[in-house]
Amino acid sequence: MSDTAIVIGITLVYLVMVLAVGLRARGQASSSLEGYVAGGRHVGVVILFFILGAEIFSAFAFLGTPGWSYQHGAPAFYILAYLSLVPITIWALGPRVAKLGRERGYLTQGDMIADHYRSKPLGMLAGVIGVVALVPYLTIQIAGAGLLFQAATDGAVPFWLGGLLAFLVVAAYVFTSGLSGIGWTNLVQGVMMIVIAWFLGLAIPERLYGGVGEMFSQLQQQAPEYLTMPGATGMGWGYFSTAVLVSAFGGAMWPHLFMKFYSADSGKTLRKVSVFYPLYAYLLVPLLFIGFAGILAFADAPLERSDTVLLRMVMDVANFSPWVIGLMLSGALAAAMSTGANLAHTAAVVLVRDVMGPTVMKGASEKATIGATRWSVLGLSLAAYGLALLNPGSLVMILLTAYGLIVQLFPMVIGALFMPTLRRASVMAGALVGSLGYLLMDFVWSSPFGWHAGVWAMLLNIVVVAAWQRFGRPDSDVSLTRPASR
Amino acid sequence: MTKTYHLLTGLHFALCTLAMIWPGALIANRIEPTVLGLPFLFFWYTLWMLLLFVGMWVAFVIRHGGNHHE
Repeated sequence: MSDTAIVIGITLVYLVMVLAVGLRARGQASSSLEGYVAGGRHVGVVILFFILGAEIFSAFAFLGTPGWSYQHGAPAFYILAYLSLVPITIWALGPRVAKLGRERGYLTQGDMIADHYRSKPLGMLAGVIGVVALVPYLTIQIAGAGLLFQAATDGAVPFWLGGLLAFLVVAAYVFTSGLSGIGWTNLVQGVMMIVIAWFLGLAIPERLYGGVGEMFSQLQQQAPEYLTMPGATGMGWGYFSTAVLVSAFGGAMWPHLFMKFYSADSGKTLRKVSVFYPLYAYLLVPLLFIGFAGILAFADAPLERSDTVLLRMVMDVANFSPWVIGLMLSGALAAAMSTGANLAHTAAVVLVRDVMGPTVMKGASEKATIGATRWSVLGLSLAAYGLALLNPGSLVMILLTAYGLIVQLFPMVIGALFMPTLRRASVMAGALVGSLGYLLMDFVWSSPFGWHAGVWAMLLNIVVVAAWQRFGRPDSDVSLTRPASR
Repeated sequence: MTKTYHLLTGLHFALCTLAMIWPGALIANRIEPTVLGLPFLFFWYTLWMLLLFVGMWVAFVIRHGGNHHE
């Protein structure tokens, strides 16, 4: 009993601390909508690094990464590959996005799309795709928080209550502080998460096998199929490679990343951050170790849900003290919450500005817009919470599904940045066909060759855009005479 | 920036991408030799993460190093 009390105690203290840091930042945020959304456009390299880093250290990283190396083995390297490749897109697109955002005052992807193509409906379509993809992403964080609480308290805090608790904290500080709250909280949490991940990743192989090298040589003797492709579950190179590509190139399309590009103070800052980005992937290496450690440890009684491998390892096998478990839980919850805060905030801004702005909230005052954004944070968090209660799928699979959808924004974004001759009707048809095709392939049919459906949908998208460019009628107004940017 | 600069950064990006997926990663799909205790395929990924970082760092310094503006 006292052990459970210590664990719950540490976690509660930590949650209160996070809340306090987030709320304190309130005084520094300017009260305008721009201040609330883009942090006033003067976020320096250090804070930006942690904001972007917190996207990566999510519940997905803490639970899903070891879950995949435990379940599949080598195919989990997809996470290292796609994470380190994401900065390529940031390097190429980011500075242009930041410049346009500064010059024209964009806050969302939809702003840029609607302005460049002179089409409100197209901006709305981008907004809808963004929100629909963001909600399951948020669901991952909520489900992760629920799993963490449930496991670490031996079921004393049930799944539904754990998820609810964590997200009340998140909603509270996004609700009051905007992006500044997120930035400062991430600074605290980023350091914490890194320490915890490395400690566990090295301590667990040490306790069970006497070291990382020893662990892998035992695996090589007893279960070598886990150490090379196609892994223990026979995942082909086709799925692996296409999943890496969709994730690497879809990565920069996420509204929560894209909107951070606007808040960079220069293109140089953004490039600097992207240079260090591949190093984030190293932070996940110890989490992969934990999954590999579980393969032999749970050989006799495989886990029902592979996402719980880190938790079972820490609590049942490695015999850590309740203090370590409490810190581990706090770190992982921190990961889930900071990412969740970012996602909830972004989804709300996109929903209000891109989707509701041109329709039900036409001509609304800035005050009304900020109010609607705050209530949307609550509403969307609740929607994601509902999905988390319904959907018990693997965390990695939920994320891969969301990536296939968000990558459909690629052609219209490229058009707005670099290809002024692309017409609004073409990119709209492409995005519609690509998105619907993706959903059909993912949920109704099955994807050809077993590739990630996002790649096929992307090809479909591009083919439709090209065909429309060739055979469709030009846009009726003068948008073609206007350059993409100066 | 010159054409050569863009060509070289583009090539570097393409090389790193192909090394981590089919077909580049095929040549590393093995357990032996282990490096730093890691199976070779695992080590391969950590190696390319480093190479990508180093290449981007060099590209950054060439483009943005010193005091001149972007």
